[in-house]
Amino acid sequence: MLVLSRKLGESIVIDGRIRVKIVRLEGDIVKLGIEAPSEVPVHRQEIYEEIQKSNQEAAADQSVKVPRLSFAAKATPAP
Amino acid sequence: MKTMELPQRDERNSTQGDVVHLPLGLLGFEQVKNYSLLTKPDEEPFMWFQMDNAPHKAFLVISPFLPFPEYQPDLSAADVEFLGLTAPQDALLLTIVTLKREGGAVINLKGPIVINQRTLIGKQVIPNNACDYALNHPLPVS
Repeated sequence: MLVLSRKLGESIVIDGRIRVKIVRLEGDIVKLGIEAPSEVPVHRQEIYEEIQKSNQEAAADQSVKVPRLSFAAKATPAP
Repeated sequence: MKTMELPQRDERNSTQGDVVHLPLGLLGFEQVKNYSLLTKPDEEPFMWFQMDNAPHKAFLVISPFLPFPEYQPDLSAADVEFLGLTAPQDALLLTIVTLKREGGAVINLKGPIVINQRTLIGKQVIPNNACDYALNHPLPVS
């Protein structure tokens, strides 16, 4: 991993098009400003991994039995 | 952008079978860019978001507003711009359903899929207020 030292207000540039700036330091929190083209997704790592895992778990085969919403089922009286 | 004003999806304008293009894919499925949105009459209000390159693989999806009318994802300005949304009614919101092996189902309210219904461009977004919503919101199913 490349490690660079930066001061408050300084930036790094990635690939000539992504700029990451140290915006503020608050105790042990570093606020980063990120400028990237709209086709470059930027996410907090933990939320990215959470949703990625959820998507992988959700990918299904269409032959599975699809349940019924219970409140929809209540609208139809049982025979 | 607040999406609370979103109307319920009009079934007469159903996008059944339409190919939706996700330039960034879904998180964890970045390589799959095209999906077909399919409805089967006996499975409604659920729909299938089917991968175009692997037709047997799909995501079960549902409008978040049906089980959870008070859902108000706050889309970032960057996402609104990316999707080219000019009016709230342009946006179709879908949430991904996970069917649990032990029975039951949950929906992911932290990462909804937003589709511009005019252009059929979509994105799985993380709303500004994602922390207010659950990744595994229980869905009442039987």
